[in-house]
Amino acid sequence: MKQMNWKTWIVPGLAACIALLFLGRSLSDPEYQKAEWKVEAFGQLPVQVGGRIKPMDTVARVNLMLFSERQSLAAKMIPNNPDGYELTATEWLMDVAMDPETAADYRIFKLIFPDDLGLTGLQREDTRHYSYRELEPYIPEIVVAFQGITAEPPQRTAYERQIVRLHNNLVRYQRLTQSFHPAGHLDDLDQFYQGFMDSIPAGMRAFHDQQAGREFDESAFNRFMGFMIQFQNMAQNADLRLVPPPSAEAFEEGDWTNIGLSMMNTIRTQMIDPYASAYARMTQTYQEGDSEAFNDTVAGLNAAFKERYADQVPRVHFEYGFNTMSPFLQSIVLYVLVFLVVCISWLIAPRELGRFAFWLILFTFLFHTFGLVARMYIQGRPPVTNLYSSAIFVGWGAVLLCLILERIYKNGIGSATGSLIGFATLIVAHNLALTSGDTLEMMRAVLDSNFWLATHVIVITIGYSAMFVAGALAIFFLIKGILSKDFSKREAKAINGMVYGIICFAALFSLVGTILGGIWADQSWGRFWGWDPKENGALLIVLIAAIILHVRWGKLATERGMMSLAIFGNVVTSWSWFGTNMLGVGLHSYGFMDKAFMALMTFWGSQAVFMALAAVPYSWWRSEFGQSMATRQQRKQKPKPASVPEPAETT
Amino acid sequence: MNIFLKIITSLRLTVILLSLGMMLVFFGTLDQVNTGIWVTQKRYFESLFVFWSYPAEWAASDTLGFIRIPMPGGYLLGIALIINLVAAHVYRFKLTWKKSGIFLVHIGLILLLVSELLTDVLSRESQMSITEGGKTYYSEAFRDNELVFINRGNPDYDDVVSIPQSILSKKGTIEYESLPFSVRIDQFYPNSVISRRGNQPTMPPTPVTHGLGAHKNRPTDLMVNEQPVRYDDQSVNTVSAIITLTGTDGTNLGTWLVSNLLDDRFPRQTLQVGEENWDLAIRFRRYYHDFGLALHDFRFDRYPGTEIPKNFSSEVSILDDTGSTNQRALIYMNHPLRYGGLTFFQASYDPETEETTILQVVRNPGWLLPYISVLLMGAGMTVQFSMHLGRFASRRKREEAPA
Repeated sequence: MKQMNWKTWIVPGLAACIALLFLGRSLSDPEYQKAEWKVEAFGQLPVQVGGRIKPMDTVARVNLMLFSERQSLAAKMIPNNPDGYELTATEWLMDVAMDPETAADYRIFKLIFPDDLGLTGLQREDTRHYSYRELEPYIPEIVVAFQGITAEPPQRTAYERQIVRLHNNLVRYQRLTQSFHPAGHLDDLDQFYQGFMDSIPAGMRAFHDQQAGREFDESAFNRFMGFMIQFQNMAQNADLRLVPPPSAEAFEEGDWTNIGLSMMNTIRTQMIDPYASAYARMTQTYQEGDSEAFNDTVAGLNAAFKERYADQVPRVHFEYGFNTMSPFLQSIVLYVLVFLVVCISWLIAPRELGRFAFWLILFTFLFHTFGLVARMYIQGRPPVTNLYSSAIFVGWGAVLLCLILERIYKNGIGSATGSLIGFATLIVAHNLALTSGDTLEMMRAVLDSNFWLATHVIVITIGYSAMFVAGALAIFFLIKGILSKDFSKREAKAINGMVYGIICFAALFSLVGTILGGIWADQSWGRFWGWDPKENGALLIVLIAAIILHVRWGKLATERGMMSLAIFGNVVTSWSWFGTNMLGVGLHSYGFMDKAFMALMTFWGSQAVFMALAAVPYSWWRSEFGQSMATRQQRKQKPKPASVPEPAETT
Repeated sequence: MNIFLKIITSLRLTVILLSLGMMLVFFGTLDQVNTGIWVTQKRYFESLFVFWSYPAEWAASDTLGFIRIPMPGGYLLGIALIINLVAAHVYRFKLTWKKSGIFLVHIGLILLLVSELLTDVLSRESQMSITEGGKTYYSEAFRDNELVFINRGNPDYDDVVSIPQSILSKKGTIEYESLPFSVRIDQFYPNSVISRRGNQPTMPPTPVTHGLGAHKNRPTDLMVNEQPVRYDDQSVNTVSAIITLTGTDGTNLGTWLVSNLLDDRFPRQTLQVGEENWDLAIRFRRYYHDFGLALHDFRFDRYPGTEIPKNFSSEVSILDDTGSTNQRALIYMNHPLRYGGLTFFQASYDPETEETTILQVVRNPGWLLPYISVLLMGAGMTVQFSMHLGRFASRRKREEAPA
């Protein structure tokens, strides 16, 4: 046992300090522009949308993300803003809900090519962000253009995709504003609702008379029907269900209603639902600028939810905390930091800085793990349920493997590879979230099986992780081998061993995962194997892993040839993961993506370049390893080099 | 001979075959976009050779459209892999404890390849639709059709004479002992459009003289036009034929139009021969089972406030041939019913009423084989790689010890 002294602990201690700094930053409250209003309490209000109960904050973020590809309002998106303040998503939603006149001026709609929309007058030099008020006059034109689109999503042109997106976003925005209250009475909602209640008795009498063909009180009838038409519109268009079921039904199973429907129900119940009237009071006090009364109302509403659903409300609040903490964004920054530290460590202090990088990536991994587990808790599901979560998990699995490698080899390669893949996969996840809406969506019936999600999907996704780790290691091998003088024969052997071990692991997991998928398919539609694109993609990974292993066992390629094959594994894995979804066919493609196609092509291009590096003659390699190979080639005087002797134990 | 042995047992051949396999699987996936999964499967994976051609739908197909890539098909590759593997084990490979894992993986692989072949040959898929409160004793295959003649004269049973599509497509004349007439296939359409003559007044009249399609020189007359056969999963082909029936004594019993489009929605086409009445129709190939299913309840649950399906399920009873119930079952996603050598899966439903369930009926005698091979391969790999890992760990220990 080595003696523990302060020197042993200073490196992990420093790493822990940095991690704590990030933790503190992520846990602290954001700076609210509307500080006198209880923004947090509003953001925590539970609401049912998309079949799930979630906090208002998630609704705000998902919508803002779909409109603007951002999770908060930047200063330039707010008009007349000389101070340059920003708004959080929840603050923005508060304005949309309770002060729509102001909200209509926020430039939240991002148009990627405003010039190409064919809407005259929309072109502007300074920005690609437009407000609802700016777009409103074009709505009839946009609707006509939208209705003219007949192509199926995979066949749509860029113009058509943009029209569809804009149209859907405008509808989404309108549905959001219709969720809270009838238009035009925001400052006297209590009188409006009371007026409706008063109109019911005479109105119903007149309605029955009219239905029965008798003489009826026309003014009472018209007044009552005026209200009803407005509520009916709301009931049909509202996106959010704000009012929980009246009886003490279970939180999740019960069908919540929207405000419009709830108001129509008052004809039967003779009273306005307390949740609906609380929302009305919030709007009214918000309009009046009476923050005290508003804060009381929100607090009262939250207390009512908490009392009624003591078991489930903590989960909603947790989701709110998870949103503000955004552990994945923190992890992205930290992974970049780790990568920089490793690179610097290779230049100056491999031992100390290398250790520091290891501890830092370990703490980053904990952030990443927390995010993963938090999503599992919120959703009550295994970690991978859609493409977004698969990206999170592929990164997680890869970092875990790299941590193990780093623990064994202690040469910085593991930390570098792990931070690179962790960063890349989280960026991919972030981009997927831009277009997918709520990333914690409900599972379609076909996929609704926690057992298979927890086995087949997890195992196959770990297979992806391993393939990417092997590919990234191979890239390091070639780049360091060519560029770095420090790259020794010993290190080359070490990376070679790592790649081999990881490919074995990848082969095992891909094979078992693919086979488990076959069993699931046999259980759910009676075909063990259907040559479906996603199945074929998984099979390709198994095949490339098998090829690499057989090439090694048969000594059919040199080390750099093996590296090149391992990089090709990246291409195959990305095809299986994303490429197959872009085909637009197949029984279980998660969804079609178009912008992603270019990204995939770019990735493949970059991998082709890395693979080509293996063809660089050894005499050009700067490393000790490369030079020794060059000498060996010269000595043998053969056009093609014989393979490097393998360590006998590994075959 | 030695060289030949060397080649067929070599690892180099294995790697080449696996690479060709990757190529086949990749192009076989690409082609599904244009031709659908069914054709692709036949063309790429259940074949000896295949040509991939540059799709007309892709960019620059005018200049690149000539590109053709030949590759070995699934059967050829599968057989070659099995030969390579078996030969390697017989001549080159020594079974030692150190390689026991690899041995298991290879046995499992051979079993998997064989079971896939068996499935291609032996498995049969059809669909059974049942409406709530109703019962069904047969299932139908939408890709296969049959020409049937039905004599409903006996109160206890119907006499059904079925001529499969494969025979119809050869045209010619068919005679069968229990049929009191011979059947001549004048025209056969594997896919067609049936329309009223009103749309095409200049079209020549059809030769049909009897039944729904009889030519009466009116705008309501039915016309048949051939269409390219569709193979995608969503499309159902309208299989039609024009047939002429001749009595045993040589009397002409008329020329008829039969089509799977003219189903229960239309009046039956009936031919009277002496005392007997024979219905004639083309319909989806039917498989009669010696038991039936009665549907009590079909459920389609959605997540609250959405159209996202949460659950589909069919509550059924199994009826034996006397119609009495002996078992109840709930069929839902990922929970099929296995009975009488068949497996029933929840596949679809009638979206209009949500009261009719459609079950996928699969007969696959080899369904257990993949499970066995999977166990062998998984176990083999685990054994092999654990041994690698063990050796790796002990070597690391030796290396680190002096440091």
